[in-house]
Amino acid sequence: MKSIWRAREFSTVIILLIEVAFFGWYLWPEAGRSHPFLNLGNCLLIFKYSSIYGIAAIGAAVVIISGGIDLAPGAIIALTTVIIGYLFVVAGWPLWAGASVALAAGSFAGFISAQLIVRARLPPFIATLGLMGILRGVAFIVTEARFYDLSAKLPRNWHVLGVSIDWLGPGVMVALAVVFQRLMTGYQWGRSVCAVGGNETAALFSGIPVNRIKTSAYVLSGALAATSGIVLAVVQGQGKADLASGYELDIIASAVVGGASLIGGRGSVAGAVLGALIFGVLRNALPQIPGATFYDRLIVGMVVIGIVVMDQVLTRRTAAA
Amino acid sequence: MPDELAALEFRDVHKSFGAVRALQGVSFSVAAGEAHAVVGENGAGKSTLLKILAGIARPDRGDVLLNGAPFDHAGPREALAGGIGMVFQERLAFPNLTVAGNIFAGREMTFPGGRLKVRAMRDRTRALLDDLRLPIDPDLPMEHASAAVAQLVQVARALAFDCRVLVLDEPTTSLTDAEVDHLFRILLDLKARGVTLLFVSHRLPEVFRLCDRITVLRDGRFVSTFDRASTTPETIVRAMVGREPPVRVARALPPASAAPVLSARSLSRAPWFRNVSCDVRPGEIVGIFGLVGSGRTELLETLFGLAAPTGGRIQVDGRDVTFESARAASAAGLALVPEDRQRLGLHFNLSIRDNIALPVAARAGLGRIDPGAEIRVSQALATDLAIRTPSVASSPDALSGGNQQKVVLAKWLATSPRILLLDEPTKGVDVGAKFDIHNLIRQRAADGMACLVVSSDLPEILALVDRVIVMREGEVQGELEAAQATEEAVMQLATHEVAVSA
Repeated sequence: MKSIWRAREFSTVIILLIEVAFFGWYLWPEAGRSHPFLNLGNCLLIFKYSSIYGIAAIGAAVVIISGGIDLAPGAIIALTTVIIGYLFVVAGWPLWAGASVALAAGSFAGFISAQLIVRARLPPFIATLGLMGILRGVAFIVTEARFYDLSAKLPRNWHVLGVSIDWLGPGVMVALAVVFQRLMTGYQWGRSVCAVGGNETAALFSGIPVNRIKTSAYVLSGALAATSGIVLAVVQGQGKADLASGYELDIIASAVVGGASLIGGRGSVAGAVLGALIFGVLRNALPQIPGATFYDRLIVGMVVIGIVVMDQVLTRRTAAA
Repeated sequence: MPDELAALEFRDVHKSFGAVRALQGVSFSVAAGEAHAVVGENGAGKSTLLKILAGIARPDRGDVLLNGAPFDHAGPREALAGGIGMVFQERLAFPNLTVAGNIFAGREMTFPGGRLKVRAMRDRTRALLDDLRLPIDPDLPMEHASAAVAQLVQVARALAFDCRVLVLDEPTTSLTDAEVDHLFRILLDLKARGVTLLFVSHRLPEVFRLCDRITVLRDGRFVSTFDRASTTPETIVRAMVGREPPVRVARALPPASAAPVLSARSLSRAPWFRNVSCDVRPGEIVGIFGLVGSGRTELLETLFGLAAPTGGRIQVDGRDVTFESARAASAAGLALVPEDRQRLGLHFNLSIRDNIALPVAARAGLGRIDPGAEIRVSQALATDLAIRTPSVASSPDALSGGNQQKVVLAKWLATSPRILLLDEPTKGVDVGAKFDIHNLIRQRAADGMACLVVSSDLPEILALVDRVIVMREGEVQGELEAAQATEEAVMQLATHEVAVSA
């Protein structure tokens, strides 16, 4: 059990707890009033919004561990909401059918990235940067600056099996995190992803199907970004081309703060989700501090650098010991 | 060796990569149960042969037979399944996986459905390492393992699966003598169990120690296969380079009365070296010999202004100097050719020409690059140094180690230094290039350049220098003129087995 204390995820949990404790203390209300940060409703809110990029961060972590990078998820999320919006609102399809098409489209986008990287030998940064522009462009062309209003057609105060639809995102995120954490650490596929990211040439010489493994990582990233998009469309009740702008960087930052190394070979799916929660808490708590609104982005940026620097210092110390 | 039982046979194998003809009709066979060496200079075709056996490359023409049956070139998986175990160099390890993870990479033991049998793999790894008498923890992350352990894990990796032919690619480069002994015991043991060994190496003493037969390749062609019992290392070297091996060339020595151009006076840099004094005169080649950790590289760095001394003085032309940076040293007429040329000496994104011209490129004034001068300088030096390349406009990436080293050398010679500091100038370089580089250093010395050569290659020191300074643990142990410098005398000073007065 000693290994739990040494696991990278452990330190991410500690950071999250320190963060929650800090805001819990800083935002402590005057006697008699309810706590603006530490209450069940606010926790749900944090989970709900973190899950949008938290789900995609799982895929980003896998891609980064395989030695790549994916800049397309933000655009895939936006395009997904547009696809669902069009099929559900305009074409009158059932919601599940629209979601299925969106999921397939996201996976296909990931497949295109993979083909550009594996066959055309483009650097992952360039391939996915290009795809990001194309997909966002398609979303704008389809919507022509309009947006699809799903909320009007969705049930008000929607409950499924007695649970509020607000729990959809958090539920999906936690379930996927558990599944992919297992796949990455205990299954041959995950081991192969690590091997490819750790030393691609060695992986090739070991008979690991390097191209197939890379393809699986990008397809997964596309599919999970689409899942994020589905959740966003349902929760926000909108299909719009400029949703989730800049999310690709939040998604990558979540994975990195959770322990993923951009050199490849290292990282954790559970860590990426915890990283998403760390940002979720910041985004939720900072606006509640009077005057801190404009510092939001600045503080988030400093936290990314701070956590990664701290991680490197700790790693170096462990290696020296 | 009964030849009819060939474990491995190459029949007229051809392979080209673009315009480079890596293998041109190689035919030889490896008998079952023998230890067979493949030797050759860099660029002789050894690595292509390895790639073919590993299933990474397939021959353009010709056949490879494994136990008499055609070898399946479909991929690495098929090669492994065919019973070929590859022991790669330790740089082909997975730093982010554990020892057990490395051994089973790509061939993990799994339950149906793909779940890893973690405990079974750990147990199998432990048994395997015990069998090889390697006290290594299967759960050790590879990045924390030493180079030697990483190399031995590569051997264990090949043995984890039934293999009848074990192919070893330069397995001893990062091992100490004791570790080499251990590895060879393991290999001889495997041979006794009937495993065929194919040993690819630079190091002839090891080849002669281990192998029954030796196949020599040169420029992608098969030269000959020799029986160890009836050949000598000299014969093998001649077959490898196609000419006589380098010997000490008598040179006209500069007059001892000439004023030294570079001097160190009680130079110290804690904790690396203390109280070092030496003189280098124009036209002289002075060697610094010492075992690893003797402070040689640090001394050169200090002379070149890369690190400040903690005591003593450096003199150029008899005047005290303090170099604030390598730039200042360079301006004073010094040049340093570093040991780690991949990291410190070459820019792989630039052409060979740009690499050579880099230190002089900015000298046209106002930072403008004078392309004409660049081409003239680099072309002249490339010819001078016999750099074997189709074009100086190509990247140094494609060059062999020896030719890369020549490019680094050319780069610093382009600055026309008066004092040339060389750190391990022929490390990892093949015999032919070594010969060229030695000749070049002698030539420049004859033109009046002062050369200070650090090397841990004793034969090189003895063949090249006029005077050798021997260091041990940061202190000068003695200085020997070329005539007194025998292998024994130098080694005694370096290891301090017996006190010798110089």
